[in-house]
Amino acid sequence: MSNHSEVASPDVRVIHPLPGTSDEARRQQVAILGNPNSGKSTLFNRLTGLRQKVGNYSGVTVEKKVGQCTLPSGRRVDLLDLPGTYSLHPGSPDEMIVRDVLFGLNPETPSPDLIVFVVDATQLDRHLFLAMQLIEVGRPVVLALNMCDAAEAEGIHIDEMALEQSLGVPVVSISAAKGVGIGTLRRLMDRDVEPSNARFRQRQPAVERVLQSVSARLPRRNLLSDSGRLDLAFALMLDDGEDDALARYAPLDVQDDLRILRARLDDILPQWRTDDATSIYEAIEGVMTHAVSRTGVSRADQRRDRIDRILTHRVWGPMFFVVLMGAIFQSVFEWAAPAMDLIDRGISSLGEFVGSHMPPGPLESLIVDGIIAGVGATIIFVPQIAVLFLLMSIMEATGYMARAAFIMDRIMGRVGLSGRAFIPLLSSFACAIPGIMAARTIDNRRDRITTIMIAPFMSCSARLPVYALLIGAFVPKTRIGILTLPGITLFSMYFLGIAAAILVAWALKRTALRGGRPLYVMELPPYRMPSWRSVLITVRDRCLLFLRKAGTVILAVSIVLWFLASHPGLGAEGVRFEKRIETAERAGNETRAAALRSEMAGAKLRNSFAGRSGRLLEPLIEPLGFDWKIGISLITSFAAREVMVSTMATVFNLDDSGEGFLSLREKLREAKDPKTGEAAYTPLTAVSLMVFFVLACQCMSTVAIVRRETNTWRWPIAMILMMNSLAWIASFAVFQGGRLLGLG
Amino acid sequence: MIDPNGWVTLDELTPGGDGVVRGLDGAAGIVRRLMDLGLVPGTVVRHVRCAPLGDPLEILVRGTHLSIRRSEAGKVHVEPL
Ligand SMILES: Nc1nc2c(ncn2[C@@H]2O[C@H](COP(=O)(O)OP(=O)(O)O)[C@@H](O)[C@H]2O)c(=O)[nH]1
Ligand SMILES: [Mg+2]
Repeated sequence: MSNHSEVASPDVRVIHPLPGTSDEARRQQVAILGNPNSGKSTLFNRLTGLRQKVGNYSGVTVEKKVGQCTLPSGRRVDLLDLPGTYSLHPGSPDEMIVRDVLFGLNPETPSPDLIVFVVDATQLDRHLFLAMQLIEVGRPVVLALNMCDAAEAEGIHIDEMALEQSLGVPVVSISAAKGVGIGTLRRLMDRDVEPSNARFRQRQPAVERVLQSVSARLPRRNLLSDSGRLDLAFALMLDDGEDDALARYAPLDVQDDLRILRARLDDILPQWRTDDATSIYEAIEGVMTHAVSRTGVSRADQRRDRIDRILTHRVWGPMFFVVLMGAIFQSVFEWAAPAMDLIDRGISSLGEFVGSHMPPGPLESLIVDGIIAGVGATIIFVPQIAVLFLLMSIMEATGYMARAAFIMDRIMGRVGLSGRAFIPLLSSFACAIPGIMAARTIDNRRDRITTIMIAPFMSCSARLPVYALLIGAFVPKTRIGILTLPGITLFSMYFLGIAAAILVAWALKRTALRGGRPLYVMELPPYRMPSWRSVLITVRDRCLLFLRKAGTVILAVSIVLWFLASHPGLGAEGVRFEKRIETAERAGNETRAAALRSEMAGAKLRNSFAGRSGRLLEPLIEPLGFDWKIGISLITSFAAREVMVSTMATVFNLDDSGEGFLSLREKLREAKDPKTGEAAYTPLTAVSLMVFFVLACQCMSTVAIVRRETNTWRWPIAMILMMNSLAWIASFAVFQGGRLLGLG
Repeated sequence: MIDPNGWVTLDELTPGGDGVVRGLDGAAGIVRRLMDLGLVPGTVVRHVRCAPLGDPLEILVRGTHLSIRRSEAGKVHVEPL
């Protein structure tokens, strides 16, 4: 990169392509930057094809997408899809990332060698604001006027040459969605683009002097131009102390002086914080009259207005929203079901196949019940994640997502959340895993974490078999008007989860996640046809991300749980069991052999580490009305809640077939407390246990995904403690309260 | 509150009505942000509609439709057109 200070005129300097290099360390970094919805991801997908990977910026939940792109000269560059931003003065963690990367404040992500700035050509006016801020930073920039197809349809004509002249950077018209102008853009990216030295901002002399003095004292460690350093100085002046990256960058003595300088400027020039925004918009007006002309009226605006009149109408808007949400919810449940069944059956036949080709023993058990079952426990989530993200990215790409948030903001605001929290919470009724992943669309960090923390309270589909078993066994089918008692019980469980979620959200917003309600500004983009390619890439990325990051944890925990539930085995007793089974088989008595096998499995589980922990747990859960048998199933259900049912069946020496399930109800009703000789489980126990299942954090996959999405162990651990103590207290209250009232 | 200049706040504009931004008040960070989004003095802004439950509002500024809450719109002083 040649020295920018040699450039005397704002002309575009285009120099020969750099020689190709295969050296990874020297590979050029190109970043795509722009306002939200300008088409950055569409362009990114266009330029990188399938060679991309998704990660996180360290310490924050902001997604980092990196891909590779081969330029016409054969040179390969790394392409970075930065989060959308409105301004280089950040208002959210996403925007902070953009600023940090651009100014070289992020130690892991080097400042890009070239920035492709993406503009929605139909909204040039407002998008030029960020463009001008960016150009003044003094890094090499190529301006891509995206959506030229839409601009043409609306009769917007942009004079590229005039724009190049005013901005001092190369300009190219493209359509990322239609693939227009991509070749030209690639060729431009191949050149050694010089930074522009055009300046748009006007600062009062007093402000300029302060910034000069501050910037002279900042460490000179990056490739910034002098005006870029002035920007950093300005950012430091504006900062209210919340900005860690800035604080790390500025020496302590400078930070002390900043406070004094700020106060002095406040005295003499109350407008100093906003003057530059005003002057940039003045510069934009000049450029717009110079370079843009419009013919005809915009049909897009009329169309948008017609659609919005219905979709955000006082009556039709919410109605459409409710129907759509119902459909989404149903789809996550229903569309995913066949694929989930298939995975389920595939995994068990794989297990049977492997089991029948291996000698029985600990290794076979590890592979079949540990590894294969663990893999199954992981990929079983993929269909729901895929369906939910398919629907959500279509909503996002068409522009409806913003309307949904617009409609729901008021209601979600009651619990201190924004409208965007609705869909993640709704999907959590199917499964908390995709729901928690969906919380990524919430841009405010506190809102996102609150949403993640309350999502597992929504009764997911894995709790249904548990409710079904307990309601079937203990709740009489009494009719109350048009309702039945089992129905009311089931509904109450769903309701209890929602109530707990509201309570916890309210509490979190007043304690750990306190903070002023952030400024909420959301763009309502025009309605557009989604780019199916981008939609499918998003779906694929989500599934892969889940498998890679959460899947490994789930697999590991599955194996640990398998070990706990199958070891140390039965020893001599096991040998006796096997002899008896053999005798029964030789006598041709299959029923007897099967009964013995179930009995042996039961004995093995009761004797296992999980079984022993169930007994250890008994004093803790006795006040809730649970015995050690339930204790065991609470431990094993950490693999997935529905495992509770099959564990109970095993504990009661039943096989877990359909018939076994029916007789499990009987067994539960008939089970006697060995000490008192009375019924071990009553309807009150059942209610207490269901309440526990509503509130407790019993799902390792949830823990794994929360760890992954929040990037720390702090939140998943807090979640386990919070949910389980809440569950214990509530079940305690139900059981002991019920007993006081003489209910069981 | 009646303003001597006949100015109102953005949320008080009748839906569908236009106004010219005359000034902003409130915390420095929020004012800065609203101005970054184009609400600088002299800009024409339209209150397009409000959400079904009355909050937030949809506004049109420099060709972009934005949704902002009433509480923030109340910080933007406009001269109705
Ligand atoms: N008509 C048109 N639509 C586009 C073009 N590029 C992107 N889009 C659409 O604009 C929307 C936002 O694009 P996206 O890439 O997600 O924007 P990002 O937020 O900047 O990453 C999507 O619906 C895209 O399909 C284009 O060149 N022409
Ligand atoms: Mg994007």
